[in-house]
Amino acid sequence: MANDLVRTGGLRSTARIATHPIHPMLVGVPIVCFIGALITDIVYAVTAEMMWANFSAWLLVVGFIIGVLAAIAGLIDFLSNRRIRERTPAWFHLLGNLAVLVLAFFNILVHTRDAYTSVVPTGLILSIVTVLILPITGWLGWSMVYRYGVGVAR
Amino acid sequence: MRISQPSGKAGLIALCGAILCLTGCNDGSGDPRAQIGANPSLPPLQQYLFPPMHIARVVGWKQGEKPDAAKGLKIQALATGLQHPRSLYVLPNGDVLVVESKAPQAPSPKRPKDIVMNYIESWATSGGNTGPSNRITLLRDPSGADGAAKTQSVFLDHLSSPFGVALVGNDLYVANTDAIVRYPYNSGDTKITAPGTVLTKLPGGPIDHHWTKSLVASPDNSLLYVGVGSNSNITENGMEAEHNRADILEVDRATGRFRIFASGLRNPTGLAFEPQSGALWAVVNERDELGPDLVPDYLTSVKDGGFYGWPYSYFGQHLDPRVQPQRPDLVAKAIVPDYSLSSHVAPLGLAFSTGTSLPENYRNGAFVGEHGSWNRSVLNGYKVTFVPFSNGHPSGMAQDVVTGFLNGNNEARGRPVGLAIDKSGALLIADDVGNTVWRVTPSGEQVTQR
Repeated sequence: MANDLVRTGGLRSTARIATHPIHPMLVGVPIVCFIGALITDIVYAVTAEMMWANFSAWLLVVGFIIGVLAAIAGLIDFLSNRRIRERTPAWFHLLGNLAVLVLAFFNILVHTRDAYTSVVPTGLILSIVTVLILPITGWLGWSMVYRYGVGVAR
Repeated sequence: MRISQPSGKAGLIALCGAILCLTGCNDGSGDPRAQIGANPSLPPLQQYLFPPMHIARVVGWKQGEKPDAAKGLKIQALATGLQHPRSLYVLPNGDVLVVESKAPQAPSPKRPKDIVMNYIESWATSGGNTGPSNRITLLRDPSGADGAAKTQSVFLDHLSSPFGVALVGNDLYVANTDAIVRYPYNSGDTKITAPGTVLTKLPGGPIDHHWTKSLVASPDNSLLYVGVGSNSNITENGMEAEHNRADILEVDRATGRFRIFASGLRNPTGLAFEPQSGALWAVVNERDELGPDLVPDYLTSVKDGGFYGWPYSYFGQHLDPRVQPQRPDLVAKAIVPDYSLSSHVAPLGLAFSTGTSLPENYRNGAFVGEHGSWNRSVLNGYKVTFVPFSNGHPSGMAQDVVTGFLNGNNEARGRPVGLAIDKSGALLIADDVGNTVWRVTPSGEQVTQR
């Protein structure tokens, strides 16, 4: 155990598989899905072709489900390691991505409406705001790994 | 609405029920009576995160239970043990055809909502999946014990989600969900074994959202009119899926060629000719998810070439923002329907009172079978009503004729669908959840042999 702490600088991930943290394995999925949903929302708003709105609905649901799993893994790391909680970016990373998931949840509900108002305007606005938050929380996440070495074996 | 295979996962039902109740136990709906008649009050439209939903849980009829008939009327089961009976047709010799029908196979889900909605809607029929359906049963002679038919036998089997039936001479037409098929019929026949001949194909699968094809022959017997419902609530399956849908088609009986007789009717059923004016009338299921009091379903005369709004607008020029691109040219000529039945009552049956033996106050008007609501938290419909007519037009407030399809806990013992007046003048009601055909007679009447 002590050896492990030394090797990870005390910022060991708890939710991990064979020393590989689970959280970064999952976060790519919601990021790609939510960006994809913004693109398909824009194409739907322009074309009114239902296929694009249907793509958005699937992307949002998949992104949300995997996003919740990523959040659970991240929360386990956050709550079970005091040294991670001491890093300021961790708090903003958590709160920002919580906002992303809440927005995505409401966006899923808006996308269950039928036809045009499932996207325009509320769904499209929610998709835009969601995607605007992602680079900020992503930046904070990268700080955690590349600057502080959270979950990194040394 | 689509009705699919029931499933008995009680836990998930309870969970979903809790979610529905959480969001829909008080939907702020008004008195449905304010929406009955020619000038319904129409509140501003609402859009929801969770639309209000309340589907009456199916419990079925216990031994001896039956619906409540209005004063002066008596109701008895003409036939029980049917498999999802949806519409009725009375042959000239008095035999009654009961069309037993199930929804075609659900299409693959287009989006996550389809999976959830198919599941929720399956609760509405959990009494109805007990045996073979998609057939027509013949009932003869309502003089058995307690007014039951003495003969109940399979008349025509292996159909494709049938609904409408029309007899012209010796030609019996059955409107399957995907085609009108003609069979030879001779008076007194109790079974048809001859293969049918397709008169014309109709818009069917793979989506087939509104699948019931109502059918009626013109008074001069040269034409057939068939109601083809929309392929969506409000174009969410794309406009290309709506080709020849939300229309009443006029079919030439000799050649099978058809033209669009009237359009913009979201789900027209109960096609019937009003006896005094000779005009074609229909009941129409309007769109969902705009609020508990929008959009009222209606009873209307159908004009040749008339456009009734769907999908672009409702009740005349009330625009639906969910439809894009809009068609102001069509909206400008959208006809306001004749008579609102109030919102989400789901009328699926219509019978004019021609030849009825019911008391004087039911002699001139239309009976309407209201299958009942799902898209509002206070249930509406689930009954048979009577709209009085004079000079070929509705002339007053609708009255309840048969109620009690819901029990005291708002559970569905049955749900009325198709209606007919039998040869003796009694009102017949197909009950697709109670799997029964009910027969309504004057309460003083002796059951007599015809």
